[in-house]
Amino acid sequence: MIDVEGLRKEYGEFTAVVDSTFAVDRGEVFGVVGPNGAGKTTTLKILAGLIEPTAGTARIAGRQPADPATQRELGFLPEESPLYEEMTAVGYLEFFADLYDVPRERAAERIGATLDRLELDHRDRRIGNMSKGMKRKVAIARALVNDPEVVIFDEPASGLDPLTTNYVVEFTRELAAEGTTVLFSAHNLFHVESVCDRIVIMAEGEIVARGTIEGIRERHGGTEYHVLATVDAGDGIVDDGVYRHVLGGMAEVDRLRTAVERDGGEVIDIRTHTPSLEEIFLEVAGRQGSEA
Amino acid sequence: MSLSRPGERGSDRLRSAVARLRAGGVRTVRIARWELTRSVETVDRRTAVALLVVLLLAGSGGLVAVDRGIGLEDGIYRAGVVDDGPYAEVAAGSDRFVVVETAPDEFRRGEADVDLLVTSTGELVPADTETGRAAAGAYREAVEDHNEALMSLESDPAAAYPVLVTVEYRPRVSFDGEGTPAGGESTSDGDDGTSAGEESTSDGEGKPAEEESTSDGDDGPSTDDASLGVPDVGGGLEGTDRPNSPGALSPPFPFESLVLAFLFVVPMNVVIQAYGSTILDERIGRRGELLLVSPASPGEIVLGKSLPYALGLVAIVVVIAAAIGGGPISVAATVPLALAFLSATFVGAMLARSFKELTFVTVAISVGLTTYVFVPAVFADVTPIALVSPLTLVVWELSGDPVAIGQYLFSTAPFYLGSAVCVLFGLGLYREEDMFAQKPVPAKALDALSVRLGGYPSVAVLPVLLLPFVFGAQLLAVSLLFVVPEAVALPTLILIAAAIEELAKSVGVYAGFARSRFEPSLGLAAVLGTLSGVGFFLGEKLTHAVQFVGLRELFVGQVVFGPELAGGPALLAALVFAPLVLHVLTAAVAAIGASRGRAGYAVGLCLATLLHAAYNLGVITLVA
Repeated sequence: MIDVEGLRKEYGEFTAVVDSTFAVDRGEVFGVVGPNGAGKTTTLKILAGLIEPTAGTARIAGRQPADPATQRELGFLPEESPLYEEMTAVGYLEFFADLYDVPRERAAERIGATLDRLELDHRDRRIGNMSKGMKRKVAIARALVNDPEVVIFDEPASGLDPLTTNYVVEFTRELAAEGTTVLFSAHNLFHVESVCDRIVIMAEGEIVARGTIEGIRERHGGTEYHVLATVDAGDGIVDDGVYRHVLGGMAEVDRLRTAVERDGGEVIDIRTHTPSLEEIFLEVAGRQGSEA
Repeated sequence: MSLSRPGERGSDRLRSAVARLRAGGVRTVRIARWELTRSVETVDRRTAVALLVVLLLAGSGGLVAVDRGIGLEDGIYRAGVVDDGPYAEVAAGSDRFVVVETAPDEFRRGEADVDLLVTSTGELVPADTETGRAAAGAYREAVEDHNEALMSLESDPAAAYPVLVTVEYRPRVSFDGEGTPAGGESTSDGDDGTSAGEESTSDGEGKPAEEESTSDGDDGPSTDDASLGVPDVGGGLEGTDRPNSPGALSPPFPFESLVLAFLFVVPMNVVIQAYGSTILDERIGRRGELLLVSPASPGEIVLGKSLPYALGLVAIVVVIAAAIGGGPISVAATVPLALAFLSATFVGAMLARSFKELTFVTVAISVGLTTYVFVPAVFADVTPIALVSPLTLVVWELSGDPVAIGQYLFSTAPFYLGSAVCVLFGLGLYREEDMFAQKPVPAKALDALSVRLGGYPSVAVLPVLLLPFVFGAQLLAVSLLFVVPEAVALPTLILIAAAIEELAKSVGVYAGFARSRFEPSLGLAAVLGTLSGVGFFLGEKLTHAVQFVGLRELFVGQVVFGPELAGGPALLAALVFAPLVLHVLTAAVAAIGASRGRAGYAVGLCLATLLHAAYNLGVITLVA
């Protein structure tokens, strides 16, 4: 559904995106994660047709992002989406439905249904008088008013309270279940982990890791074994009289256990630790940063 | 395999284009309707009503002021009168006096609250104060007015005015496309008027000579629309059928028409404030980003947002034209002015980074355009330079003078073309990378120019696009300097004209280098400069339109636009191709400077300007 090939964006001397390549299947939730300034938002804006790449190509359903036909099938929720505060929620959504050539009756039906799903009350209230969470819901409804095939969510839960954030994540999951292709970017990696099928991790404009979250975990983190012993059998970290050895596989664990017994010690406990996406991200992005 | 004829493909393409155009039109109208609703919703009802009342009061007050004067001095003096004799009548007939019956003894004791006393014998006794002395002066003027009024009521004018002097104001000479006077009819009208006056004196009917000799005498509003004082040539004489005293004579200056024409500009200054705000509002906090990802193109968005303001201005122009007695010419002359206000504001709002900057931008636009249209129009009856301003056309229409199509085009074409180019450059900035970036104004201006650079041909096209501004700037320079002594005006104009043209030729090339559109090599710079010079030379030939209105007859006109060509074929050829060589050479110099960065560009531009100025001086000296 989405094909990105050798995408590059330069601003004078600064390169925001460095030769990115990835593809997103129809109905997939695809995560783009990375620290600030990694090139996520630039990538998403190129896909939304807002920015022209310096080199490379981006295609959505085989068409250019800026093609009006593509725009008609695209829903974009930017990280900051200031609304026209003097308008009511319904008036605002009706205007955008008009711009997307959605017939009036269908638009009214869709707006009503979307706002119901988002549990947004006070629809005739001026947007300027709404809370931040309500405004974000209006912005999400706007991104969906044209019943898009592809949705680009850039930090959809930005600045929201935990309750609303969970709601937005759940909503994204529902969209994917209905067959909508979602490109999802968030700083909160727990949300990414819980909603995305595949991800790319970006750092300094480059994609530094890609694949399913499990696959990335395998490649960049894997399971760690923490062996606690009464003696130090090599590189142990002492804590309250107990030595903790961090090992990468069962073979190493067996070797350590033999060494401990040989030294007259005892293995007290063996614990496994699966790194979170956040830890992998910190490692991968941090490594990229230090290399730079 | 499908069989299709070329004609069918063509018609399909046409249908597709029409469908796209229609869809774009529908979206534009939707955006316009939304913009209107949104703008209205930002103003609450009470504020709207208050604004309307203020506008109505200001409008009606202005018209009353034009019609009757401002009346600041009404009733400022208190005149004590002894009885209601003829001297009391004088004070009562003047707006400046409040008449109070006062006994002379009471006045002498200082018990009367009056500024002067008028006795039954006509003796004038002012109070011993500044006000008293001023009141005495005002009373003497009132006596003169009173006497004038009495004489004008005399049934036999020859008895009131024993000596009649015929004053003849020659009609303004209009220039047609040949640069020759087109006022044949007017001239004969003037002659008729003179002879009519002579006859009237001899036959004793007292038919005033000025009635016809000071007006065109046939179709102007001189006699039809005297209520607003629109007819003007000859000052206080118009609209009367009586002789006047010498004190009532004033030189032929279309002051009232000019003031009325100026009324068009006032609402434009107000509307652009609102328009600039709505454009900038889209850029503040990235509000317009969501419109950019919609199927609407930037052109549709801008047109949609601008349409309510453009239509509103047209409506205002039509209403004002109707109110002051103007017609289709007034409307047709001021609509391009309104477009220029809007388009310049659009570009300004795209360049400004904050509402504070926008204020400076809109004030600059207001002052610039108002000066451009007002100053030349002051000379509406004096010199063809006045045609630089479309307001001159309004003045002429109000004065009953004809306007030729060539004159209309000369006066308004820079506004139409300039507006189109402004919109083109502004649209170049209507994209995510420029709309929401906090770049300095000059950097954005370079962006707007560089967006239009798509290849070598565009380097030649860019200076042509800038020609309306070159033309406008040079005309403004002529308008401002033609009254200055030639010794000062000549060198100043030579330098200004050269600098304007060199800037127009080179700024696009500089933008291309500054935005890395071109490799900064000397060879390429020379090629780009040549292209720019050739483009400018070809476009400059368009400015030969100035021939139509005879601007070259003025010395300052020759300085800026060059002398009229005359002489043998060899000289003509030299005069045609010499500018081509000049433009190519100076553009190449500036382009080579531009390839070396900002400082290099400044040096190159100065050098090119000096070369150009030296050439202009040489040609003027040689040919003029």
